[in-house]
Amino acid sequence: MRNYYKYLLILPGVLFLTIFMLVPIGMTIISTFFPNEAAADTSNYASLFRDSYFLEILWTTLRVSILTTIICMVIGFPTAYFIARMSAKMKALLLILTIFPLLTSPVVRSFSWMVIIGRNGLVNEALMGIGIIQEPLEILYTPTAVIIGLVHLFLPLTIITLVGVMESIESDLLTAAASLGASRFGVFTKVVLPLCVPGLVIGGILVFVGSFTAYTTPALLGGQQRVLSTLLYQNANTLNDWHMASILAAIMIVVTLIVITCMNLLANKLNPRR
Amino acid sequence: MNGRIKMLLGSAAIASALTLSACGSDSAGAGKEKLVISTWGFSEDFFNEDVYAPFEEEHNVDIVVETGNNAERLNKIRQGNSDVDLVYLSDYYAQQGVDDGLFEELDSSKLTNLDKIYETAKSPNGEGYGPAYTIGQFGIAYNPEMVKETVSSWKDLWNAEWESNVAIPGITTTTGPMFLDAASKVSGNDSFNEDAAFKQLDALKPNIVNEYNQTSEFINMFGQGEIAGGPIMEMYFSSLKEAVPEAEFVTPEEGGYAVMNTVNVVKDSDQKELAEEFINYQLSTEVQEKTAKAKVDSPVNTEVVLSDEEQEGITYGEDVIEKLNVLPADFLVENSKQWIDRWNKEVTK
Repeated sequence: MRNYYKYLLILPGVLFLTIFMLVPIGMTIISTFFPNEAAADTSNYASLFRDSYFLEILWTTLRVSILTTIICMVIGFPTAYFIARMSAKMKALLLILTIFPLLTSPVVRSFSWMVIIGRNGLVNEALMGIGIIQEPLEILYTPTAVIIGLVHLFLPLTIITLVGVMESIESDLLTAAASLGASRFGVFTKVVLPLCVPGLVIGGILVFVGSFTAYTTPALLGGQQRVLSTLLYQNANTLNDWHMASILAAIMIVVTLIVITCMNLLANKLNPRR
Repeated sequence: MNGRIKMLLGSAAIASALTLSACGSDSAGAGKEKLVISTWGFSEDFFNEDVYAPFEEEHNVDIVVETGNNAERLNKIRQGNSDVDLVYLSDYYAQQGVDDGLFEELDSSKLTNLDKIYETAKSPNGEGYGPAYTIGQFGIAYNPEMVKETVSSWKDLWNAEWESNVAIPGITTTTGPMFLDAASKVSGNDSFNEDAAFKQLDALKPNIVNEYNQTSEFINMFGQGEIAGGPIMEMYFSSLKEAVPEAEFVTPEEGGYAVMNTVNVVKDSDQKELAEEFINYQLSTEVQEKTAKAKVDSPVNTEVVLSDEEQEGITYGEDVIEKLNVLPADFLVENSKQWIDRWNKEVTK
């Protein structure tokens, strides 16, 4: 009997999440199948997936979030590797510097990017000044601008997650590998990289889900290019079409779940500790 | 253990004392009536000091302001759980509110200042509903440093010189449908032709940098040199000039468009009489003149007299108002769903 008491500890958390997350999400998804409170109806989903406008937005959103995730990994991995191998003092300092951008709101960061990548912004002035380009590059209000903004937003998350995993790799393992004749490159690819897979997966999920659902950055930097979240906002807030907004929300949830499941399966396959 | 319990008790006592004192100060303020106004939030300081404060003093009432764009605020009222008494909306959104039965009919005997305002402003959304307290003009603003040819017509925006230089209003904004109508005019149709208008907009694509859904976005892009200009309301011209002193505003030769902003009393407001009084106050010569001189809103009250300098950036005078194109709000509401759909697919990338 005593053993059951320990479940009381998680009760508040479970109750909170059930009432304020699971139930509303369930209601939202169920409501999408009952547009007229009569019989179940899936024609809305069917017509949406035949609509080239929607498919294009879905594809853009996926492409932007996948690219953001890959770029975050490529930049974040070496940075995290570097930080993880520093002394404790240096590590603390570098981690604080990494977290620092997270303290600024996405709105402020997006506006800064407008100033940097705009037509008369820093980047264009500099490139034109050295004579690399004659005409200003059009970066602002394109998907590229959104990716730049999102990478800036999520890179700290990637680095923090990866540093956590890399710290747990015992240096004895690396010494052992080297003493058994592995080259530096070999140690990295055969020992370090595989052991980092859980971190890469968690970081990847965080970045992907974050950029797939981000609203502020695409709304400010994306110009006329819509993504799912800005389409959802238009339906809910401007057009007052809550049914369509719920359908879009449901699609976003399902896509997110599919991606998380796939990445977990991949991680289980690759995880050397199993 | 004992010490810890004491400490807990102590902090509990402090917490409850704080809560009690907070309640105390709350109930002291409850003696005053409260009037909740939902508005855009532009020129907030001006409204607080020069419009709300004198009214608050005269009627011993606290004015509480909620801000947001037209669509957001109308939807909040639609969803029913707001305590807004008075709502400022453009005529297009006010029409939707009227159609959905969200507003009270006004007692015109209370609105003594109605006789002083332009005929078009009296009831743009049907007899009995809120008057327009300002009529502005939708035309073209541009930066002559970036576009050398003179601008005189809506057509000019289609010129090659404007390539990657224009921001246009989104279709869900108040002025989006007006620009659609202007595109129809540019295509050579006297009365509105939807297909021709969309085709014309398609031809504008090389020139469009972005759509704006809030005027502040246009002002930012204009100030940063991302755009040379585009269609915008005249009432924001003073902000544009602050950003770019050379900026020019033109009334296109095909005519500008009348942008009417209205005030309505929300259905079942418990402050209906006070709200009506406020509407009358908003139309008074005194408030209309103050607002025009501060270059916040163009007046509808015919008694307001402005010098040439005071008229800059203000849509002023019966002859100007009469020439403006007016898109009937009910025509907009009827077609908006279809336009938004086509616009999303054909204009937005």
